Amino acid sequence: MDMSQVPSLIQEAQLWKFEELRSQVLSDVVERSYQEILAEESEMPLEVVLQEALFAERQRLRRTRTNWFTRERRKRDSLFWGGVYTRMLRRPGEVDRSQVLRRVLEHYTDEIGGHFDPNVYRFTTHALPIGFNWLLNAASAGILLPWKQKEQVQGRLNIVGEVEHLKKLTARGTILLVPTHQSNIDSVMIGYLIYLMGLPPFSYGAGLNLFSNPILSYFMSRLGAYTVDRQKNDAIYKRALKNYSTRILRQGVHSIFFPGGGRSRSGAIESKLKLGLLGTALEAQTMNLSEGRPNPNVYVVPMVTSYHFVLEAASLIEDYLMEQGKHRFILRGDDSWQLAKVANFFWKFFKSESSVTVRIGKPMDVFGNLVDEAGQSLGPNGTQIQPLKWLTTRGEVRPDAARDREYTRELGLRVSERFHLDNTVLSSHAVAFALFECLRKHYRGFDLFRFLRLSLSQRTLPFEEFLQEAETLHQRLHEMSDRGRLHLAPEFKVGSFRRWVDDGIRNLGLLHDAAVVKVDKDTILTEDLSLLYYYRNRLAGYGLSLKGEGYDRKGFLA
Amino acid sequence: MTEKDFWRKATVAVIGGGSWGTVLAHLLSGNCSEVRIWTRDDEDARAFNSTRNNPRYAQGLHFGGNVRALSEPDRVFEGGVQAVIWALPSKVLRQAARDFSRHFQGDEMIIHATKGIEEGTLKRMTEVLREELPAPRIGVISGPNLADEVARGEPAATVVASAYTEVIEAGRTLLTTDRFRVYGNTDVIGVEWAGVLKNVLAIAAGSLDALNLGANSRSALISRGLAEMVRFSEYFGARQETFLGLAGVGDLLATCSSSLSRNYRVGQALASGKTLEQALEELGSTAEGVQTCGSVWKFAEKRGIYMPITEGVYRVIQGQCSAREALHQLMTRASANALYES
Repeated sequence: MDMSQVPSLIQEAQLWKFEELRSQVLSDVVERSYQEILAEESEMPLEVVLQEALFAERQRLRRTRTNWFTRERRKRDSLFWGGVYTRMLRRPGEVDRSQVLRRVLEHYTDEIGGHFDPNVYRFTTHALPIGFNWLLNAASAGILLPWKQKEQVQGRLNIVGEVEHLKKLTARGTILLVPTHQSNIDSVMIGYLIYLMGLPPFSYGAGLNLFSNPILSYFMSRLGAYTVDRQKNDAIYKRALKNYSTRILRQGVHSIFFPGGGRSRSGAIESKLKLGLLGTALEAQTMNLSEGRPNPNVYVVPMVTSYHFVLEAASLIEDYLMEQGKHRFILRGDDSWQLAKVANFFWKFFKSESSVTVRIGKPMDVFGNLVDEAGQSLGPNGTQIQPLKWLTTRGEVRPDAARDREYTRELGLRVSERFHLDNTVLSSHAVAFALFECLRKHYRGFDLFRFLRLSLSQRTLPFEEFLQEAETLHQRLHEMSDRGRLHLAPEFKVGSFRRWVDDGIRNLGLLHDAAVVKVDKDTILTEDLSLLYYYRNRLAGYGLSLKGEGYDRKGFLA
Repeated sequence: MTEKDFWRKATVAVIGGGSWGTVLAHLLSGNCSEVRIWTRDDEDARAFNSTRNNPRYAQGLHFGGNVRALSEPDRVFEGGVQAVIWALPSKVLRQAARDFSRHFQGDEMIIHATKGIEEGTLKRMTEVLREELPAPRIGVISGPNLADEVARGEPAATVVASAYTEVIEAGRTLLTTDRFRVYGNTDVIGVEWAGVLKNVLAIAAGSLDALNLGANSRSALISRGLAEMVRFSEYFGARQETFLGLAGVGDLLATCSSSLSRNYRVGQALASGKTLEQALEELGSTAEGVQTCGSVWKFAEKRGIYMPITEGVYRVIQGQCSAREALHQLMTRASANALYES
C-alpha cells in the first residue's frame, strides 16, 4: 500500500472527499490484510484460519434472530458462507485457499466500509436540530408553534473542557476521539456535538446492531460511520476491521470509537479498554513517520459524557449483574430499545431542566503523553518527547509487535485515567452513591448479590442519616475537585448543600418507572437497588467506597 | 543490523560508580564500544581514569581504554547513548532521574539495578524512572549477584526483566560474558518485588545466625519467607513462577547465606543486642531492608496480607522486642494456616 501518491485529507476537507477514495481504501484494506495473514502462515495455517472463520460465522448465523430489516443481510451472509463451505470441502489442490481468503476479506470489508454523503450531512446537521428544538420546546414549555420557540437544544448540552485545543489539533494531525459510552444515544449526540463545536465531520465505528434500524442506518451509513460487529470474533474479521481503522487514520480522516467496546454495563467509567482498535492509532502514526508523510501524528482525545439518567440503565445493569453473578442473579425481564422508549426519554429529558455535560479531555499522543496546542508531546520534568525516537528500535523507525503492544497497553491506562480525571460528577451520581454506601453500612457482611435482594423496608433509611453521608461525600468530592481528580457540575458550586441533594433526587427520579430514590416524609428509600447501583457506579474507581475488613472482596465495584 | 552488531558500536552510560555499578560497567565494556560511568565525585572520576580502576570498590577490576568515569552529566550523554544502566540507592534514584531527564532522547534502553522501593509511595524503581524520564523502555536487572563474587569472575547468573522485549535483548547482549549468564523475564513486578523483599528476610537470617541456630532454622525461615514474598507480590500482580527463579529463590538464598550482605549484618547486630542506630553505625552505610521492612509491613497490615516474619523483623527493628522474643512468638503463634503450607 504505497500512500505517497494519495493526498492526506487533513488539508483537504477530511471526510468530504471520502467517497472518491472509498474503493481504493477498501481494496487497500483487503490487500494488506491478505498479505499479513499469508505472512503468518507458518504460525497459523491458512486452512485453520479459514475453518475457524467459517465455523464461527455459521454458528453466529444460526444464533442470531433477524427482523424485517436485517433479513436481507442475513440471507446474503448465509449464501456467502454456504459458498465458502462448499469450497472448503474440496481439496486445497482443487480450490486455492488464498482465493477464498481474498473473497472473505472482500465480503467483510464491504460490510465494514462506510460512506459519506455531503448532502445527507448538511441535511442532518440542519434538520435534526430543528426537530429536536421543536420537541424540546413542546416538552418544556408546551410551545408547539415553531416561531414562538425560545429554547434551543444546544442549551441543554454543556460542552466544556479542551474544545479550542482540540480544534487547533485538527489542523496538525489526525484526531482519534475516544468517548465514554453509556447509551445508544451517544452515537447520535456525539455526531451532533462535533458539528456544534465547529469541527469537521468525523468517521466513527458503530455497532452493527444500530444499523438494523432503517432510519438510523440510512443516516449513519452516509455520515462516515463504519460498522463494527461485535458478534464476529474470527481473526480475519478482526484483522480487516483493524486495518480499516488504520487506513482511514492514515488518510487523515478524524475518527471516533468507543474504547470500552460496548456501552458500560455496570454504569462505571470504563477502566478496561479494548486495545485492538486503540492500537491502530500507533500503527497509523508509525507508518506515516516511516514514510515521511506530512502531519504524521495521531492525537487521542478523550471525551466524557455525564447523564443524569440513562435510557437503557435497567437492561445494562441487568446484563452486568448476570455476567458477574451467573446463577446468583435472577433475571427480571427484557428491556429493549424501542422507539417509544427513545421518544419517552427525550420527552422527559426536555421536559425537565436536565442537561447533559460533555467534557473534552486533555489531548494525548499515541503513547498517552499530553500534547500542547502545537501538537508537541510533553514529557516529565519539562521535557519534550519526539515520538519518532519512541518508535525507533536499533536506529530505525519500524513497528515492533512486543513494543507496540506495551505502548498501547499504556495508552489504554492513560485514557482510562483521563476518563476519571475529566469526568464531571453530577448531583444525581453523588446522591446515588451516598444512599448506596449508607445502606451498605447497615449490611456490612453482605456481598453484592445478597445485598441487592434487601426488602423494601430494609432499603429504607432515616433521611437525616442519608443527609449526613451525603454531606461527608460532598466534602470529599470538593476536596478531590480541588486536587484536580475530578470535576464537579456547576450545581455543586452554587447554592446550598441541600439544593444539590434535592436536585440529585429529582433527576434520579425522572426517567425510570421504579423510583431510584424516593423521599417519604423523613425517610429515604430506593425502589430499585440494581438501578441505584448502576448510578452509584459512576463514582466507582475513585477510592470513595467502603474499604478494609474484606469489603473489596464482596463483589462491589470499589 | 543484528542485535550484536548494533550494540558492538553502542555507547552505554552507567549512572552510579558504587560496587555493583563498577562491576556492571566491567561486564558491559567487553560487549559495546564505549562505557561512561557517572560518579558524583570529580576526584573519584579522575582517579579512575588515571589508574584504570575504581579507587573505592571492586579494586581488583582493571578497566580498558573504552571505559571512562565522568562527573558532569553533559559529558556522559554527549552525542547520545544507546543504553543507560542505573546503579544508585533507591533513596536518590528519583532525584537523579529528574536531574538527568533532559539528556534523554527517548530511544535509550534503560535498566536499573536497584533493589529497593520508594519510601512512602511504595513505588517500584521502574515506576519511578517511568515517571521522571521521557523514555519509556525500562527494565530491571536482579538476581543472586554479590558484587565481589561477580568481580572475581566466579560464574553467576542474573535476570533482566522488562515489558519490552528490546530491553531484555539489550540487557542480554550487553551483559553476557562466559562467566555471567543473563536470563529474561517479562514479570517486572515479580522481579522487582523479589529483590526488595528478600532484604527483609536477610535481616532475619542474620539474626538467626547471631543466635547460633543451624541449617534447619534457616531453611524454615527461607521457605516460609519465600511464601510471604509471593503472597505480598501477588497483591500487585506478580507471577508466582518468578519466585522459583534467579530473582526469587536464587537471590534469597544468596543473601541469606552470605555474611557479605549488609542487611544480613544488620540482623546479626540486632540479635546480639545492639540497637538499630548502633547496628547501622557499625555498618557505616545504609541497608535497604530496614526501610523496606517498615513500609512493607505497614502496607500488608492494612490490607490483611499475612506476613508474620516481616512483622517480627519490624518489631525487632523498632526495638519492641528482642530477636529471641520475636522468634519465640513466630514459633508459638496460633494460626489456622500452620496446618497447611500456603
